[in-house]
Amino acid sequence: MTDGDYDYLIKLLALGDSGVGKTTFLYRYTDNKFNPKFITTVGIDFREKRVVYNNASPGSTHGKSFKVHLQLWDTAGQERFRSLTTAFFRDAMGFLLMFDLTSQQSFLNVRNWMSQLQANAYCENPDIVLIGNKADLSDQREVNERQAKELADKYGIPYFETSAATGQNVEKSVETLLDLIMKRMEQCVDKTQVPDAVNGGNSGKLEDTKAGERKCAC
Amino acid sequence: MTQTADGVNLTFLSETERDLILQVLQRDEDLRKTEDIRIRRLKNELLEIRRKGAKRGSQRYSDRTCARCQQNVGRILPKTNTCRSCNHLVCKDCRMETLTGGWKCKVCIKEAELKKATGDWFYDQRVNRFAHRLGSDLVRISLRRKPSGPGNKRETTAQTILEYSQQMNEQKVRRDQKSPKQRQRNSGEATGSPDLRDQRSDTESTEQMSLNSYKMDSMKSTPTMSRKNSIEREGKKNFGPSGAKVDTLTVPTRTREFHQSDSEGESRIGNRSAGSADESDTLFKKNPRRLLKPSDYSKSTIDLRPEQKVQGESTMGDRSKSVPGLNAEMEEEDEDIDNLVEIHRLTTARSSLRSGASTSTLGSMMSIYSEAGDFGNVIVTGEIMFSLKYDGRTQILSIVVKECRNLAYGDDVKRRSNPYVKSYLLPDKSRQGKRKTTIKRNTVNPLYGETLQYIVPESVLLMRTLQLSVWHHDRFGRNTFLGEVNLPLDSWNFDSMVDECLPLHGKGNSDAGVPNYKGELIVSLKYIPPSKSTTGSERRKSKTDEAGELHVWIKEAKNLTAVKTGGTSDSFVKGYLLPIKNRNTKRKTPVFKKTLNPHYNHTFVYNGVKPDDLQNTCLELTVWDREPLSSNDFLGGVRLGPGTGEWEP
Repeated sequence: MTDGDYDYLIKLLALGDSGVGKTTFLYRYTDNKFNPKFITTVGIDFREKRVVYNNASPGSTHGKSFKVHLQLWDTAGQERFRSLTTAFFRDAMGFLLMFDLTSQQSFLNVRNWMSQLQANAYCENPDIVLIGNKADLSDQREVNERQAKELADKYGIPYFETSAATGQNVEKSVETLLDLIMKRMEQCVDKTQVPDAVNGGNSGKLEDTKAGERKCAC
Repeated sequence: MTQTADGVNLTFLSETERDLILQVLQRDEDLRKTEDIRIRRLKNELLEIRRKGAKRGSQRYSDRTCARCQQNVGRILPKTNTCRSCNHLVCKDCRMETLTGGWKCKVCIKEAELKKATGDWFYDQRVNRFAHRLGSDLVRISLRRKPSGPGNKRETTAQTILEYSQQMNEQKVRRDQKSPKQRQRNSGEATGSPDLRDQRSDTESTEQMSLNSYKMDSMKSTPTMSRKNSIEREGKKNFGPSGAKVDTLTVPTRTREFHQSDSEGESRIGNRSAGSADESDTLFKKNPRRLLKPSDYSKSTIDLRPEQKVQGESTMGDRSKSVPGLNAEMEEEDEDIDNLVEIHRLTTARSSLRSGASTSTLGSMMSIYSEAGDFGNVIVTGEIMFSLKYDGRTQILSIVVKECRNLAYGDDVKRRSNPYVKSYLLPDKSRQGKRKTTIKRNTVNPLYGETLQYIVPESVLLMRTLQLSVWHHDRFGRNTFLGEVNLPLDSWNFDSMVDECLPLHGKGNSDAGVPNYKGELIVSLKYIPPSKSTTGSERRKSKTDEAGELHVWIKEAKNLTAVKTGGTSDSFVKGYLLPIKNRNTKRKTPVFKKTLNPHYNHTFVYNGVKPDDLQNTCLELTVWDREPLSSNDFLGGVRLGPGTGEWEP
């Protein structure tokens, strides 16, 4: 399906407990459709989407737009696939860490996923967004927004409440992640010019891995 | 890569699950192929820009020209400035604004874009992360996963698993007929590019290795001379490991000095270093040493170039294979492209030592080490029969490779060899200078009857040495060295047209004791122990740290090998504090252009060195000729083991 007519290939990966809605979320994002059936992902899968990224953020002057080809890896949440899925972490440039707003347990597991990421991703503080999915099921909600926001702040990553069913915040969360990655990319190649800027910027960083920051941002 | 290789096995999956996953991975592969094509295109674009106007080290330039467009710029330079990224003088037209408000030259901008577009920014970081491993691990990794170069860096988990499972499937598919489509895929995978790529990269690296070690032979005449000199010098000035005081004229320091002009002397250098390590906690230590740099790769250093060439090779893919005439040039170009970023990183490393200079080289280094194993595997036996003819009129040297007899088994297990013969006219070890026969399958007595030709003027020919090496071609693994002969052509009787039959010998057997003189490097080491402030030396600043500092003063080099036209070299010295070979321990001097006796006068400072660490470290110093648009040429190197005095092979 790809034709190579794009400027960047960006690889994202969705992770989180089984059943939090990773596959459905990505399906909503790429095809703008909702599939309420639960089909467990076998190990690993991916979807693709071509988007246009506008580099119009304040720090960067030129409002250029780029064609970005997104490869969205979908991982199995099930424990038995764990060794397989974590092996794919290292190939992703950014992560959608998802939990189910209607499941306290899936939220508690976010910490575990976080440490998995820190151990297996391409660097210790990769770009991540935290996503609480199934926001439409407000009557079954077990995780409140403040709780989740606090956790996200602790890690220094953005937090979104999304719904694959309604499409709420789905695009926005992916775009935010893409933006973080693009910013990091700029910092990486531009380091010779302004070394200090590497640590600047408002991209999400894990606070507890600040030490690794310098090392990681090339 | 390790994790996927060791950690992921797919055995826990059911048949259907595995098929599903493989389908996903196959889709990923398609995407990756598209991406590869795209990246190749981008790199070509960059090459185009560079070719239009970029300073090549081998050519002469006025200092007053723009490095990009070659336009003369005025003596007073309102329009020009130095690009902060590549340190070239660039005119106003060849700059572009960066996002942060500064500017860089067009090429640097393009390279940054390339880094983004190809995802190299990401892969380089990832390499960093996975590089924090023990050296031995790295060796194992590189042994296991041979397709090095970009393939290695960019390799994804998906790719690894896919390839792995395809290998697994291959035999299986043969038995129980699967869908024809899949079978096709599998067999395509087995015979297609990945293997070729493997095999080729291996050959190339091993070749390079052999060449490095080879230099010994090619320099046969020089060593005699220089050895005599150095022996004389030894007689006068050489002192035992205890480190007596001498008055050195070359090194203006008052402190303890050693003179090292010892051409045989790895062991001696080792001893001496050990001696110095004993005293390492004494304040102020300066051992200006004169070191001969043996060219034997196993003693001195590892040439980075092989690996870089390999990079070029593997990106090239099959494109270059069918067109021998084009090959040389194309390969070189491609190598250029792949090195562009690398070179640039090197340049920036000079200005800021903490840039990501050697991220990708670390792996390569290790894999070169592993290449050396190919030589030891086989006990060289047999002989090669050939004849030489030189036509003075057409300037064609014809080597008729007739046959080989009683070759060793390249594949010990299956007791078979697929031998081919390769030739170089040393010291030219470039691809252009390589000729190969075909591969004869499963025989230790191959009959070739093939002619390898060189067009070379007689005057040049006489200065060359013909190297014929025999290799076992392994489709799936690394090519194995089966033996070689080296013929200095100055003494060759071209009139006798008889067939020569010479016994093959291994690498550096008879010549091992004759290190090649390649010049001298004068350095001085000083260790500043913790918590002591130092005085007395103009270059040293006081330091109160927990760990001490190791200062390596690179004073000068003498009589370097000239590699550039005009009999000069643009040299620089690079240092690593082994065993950690990464950008943190890498230091470089500036490049000194057009001289064989550069006065670097440059100090590498390694801080955070504990006295105990000294026992386990080894300082590697290598001299390189800077070649901006291709790989730098290795001029020589030396390793100083302050601790054990061990010289790593």
